[in-house]
Amino acid sequence: MTASPLDVSTLSKPELMKLERDIARRHSGQFPWEILLWAFGNMALWLSLWPLVIFGYLPLWAAFPIATVSIMLVYLPTHEAQHDIIARPGTRWRWLNELVGHATSWMIVSPFAVLRFTHLEHHKHANDPALDPDHTTHADSAWHAVRKIIRESQPDGQRSRDYAACLARGNRKDLMLQSMGFKMTYFAILFALAWSGLALEAFFLWWLPLQIGLVYVALYLSWAPHHPAKETGRYRDTRSFRSRLGNIGSMGMQFHIVHHLHPYIPLTRTPAAYWEMRPILEARGCNIHEL
Amino acid sequence: MKAPAKAKEARGLLRLLDFMPLIFAFGFLVPVIAQGMERLGWERPLGTTPLVFALLVGGGWGLVAQIRGRWI
Repeated sequence: MTASPLDVSTLSKPELMKLERDIARRHSGQFPWEILLWAFGNMALWLSLWPLVIFGYLPLWAAFPIATVSIMLVYLPTHEAQHDIIARPGTRWRWLNELVGHATSWMIVSPFAVLRFTHLEHHKHANDPALDPDHTTHADSAWHAVRKIIRESQPDGQRSRDYAACLARGNRKDLMLQSMGFKMTYFAILFALAWSGLALEAFFLWWLPLQIGLVYVALYLSWAPHHPAKETGRYRDTRSFRSRLGNIGSMGMQFHIVHHLHPYIPLTRTPAAYWEMRPILEARGCNIHEL
Repeated sequence: MKAPAKAKEARGLLRLLDFMPLIFAFGFLVPVIAQGMERLGWERPLGTTPLVFALLVGGGWGLVAQIRGRWI
């Protein structure tokens, strides 16, 4: 697709802002039914792998890649819910927004409330080394980022400390307890499965897919759209980029800049919003040269 | 629950998390290694049972992770 022919060269900053908001509004407000199907369909798929493998209908080697993709796909529906995209507070379908967040985030062993709080802090402070809880993913290259994400997720890594510090700054000890409770419950389930003779099933259906999924999500949702992550500010802390895995393979993150500017636009609408907004983003000096 | 009891509970959980590498090793890694060996038909490595071998390898790895603060 090529850039929209919109000529913005003569517009002032307030006019650019108005135009940008008009485009954002046009691409928001629709009920994102795809996300509901994604969230609950994916959860049903992952849950179905357990009886299929345990009762011998599906070999573990075949279930493992399915489980890995499924775990990779958990985060984005909760991300939509974190931004109230399914339903705003006080609206009729608000319970569905919260249900999507709570009902699926346990698969990635994170309470929805923690994901929401820390992610909104990331939006407020993107690329700020002291305040952005995702700052540990920043690296010189994709491979360096993968190594760093794995390194910082180790017991002595910085990532969990940054998340804890973020919750502490917000005086959310309740969320720290929730987070610890989720982790303890997760390990208790893993241990119980393992010592009941289902260690390999637990390893290949949940533990290993989760490790791979978390690296993938951190790489595409955190490192890639913010690289080189040296600047802060509305038009400089995020970029567009061209992914070798395409838009689906990078979970729509090529257009993450639109999400940071207008977080209420559903994921499925960000590509269209990006192409319409592109001349405005160019006029604003955004890092969009790859796409 | 009263506030001091809650704080005590949180401190207990935090203390438990300090030993997670060792707990994870014996709770999960050991049975994963043992059952993996059985599935592969590797029954008596170095003259031991898979569980003893898994306890040595998994437990040892957990101990190293506990001391170094990292698994790899």
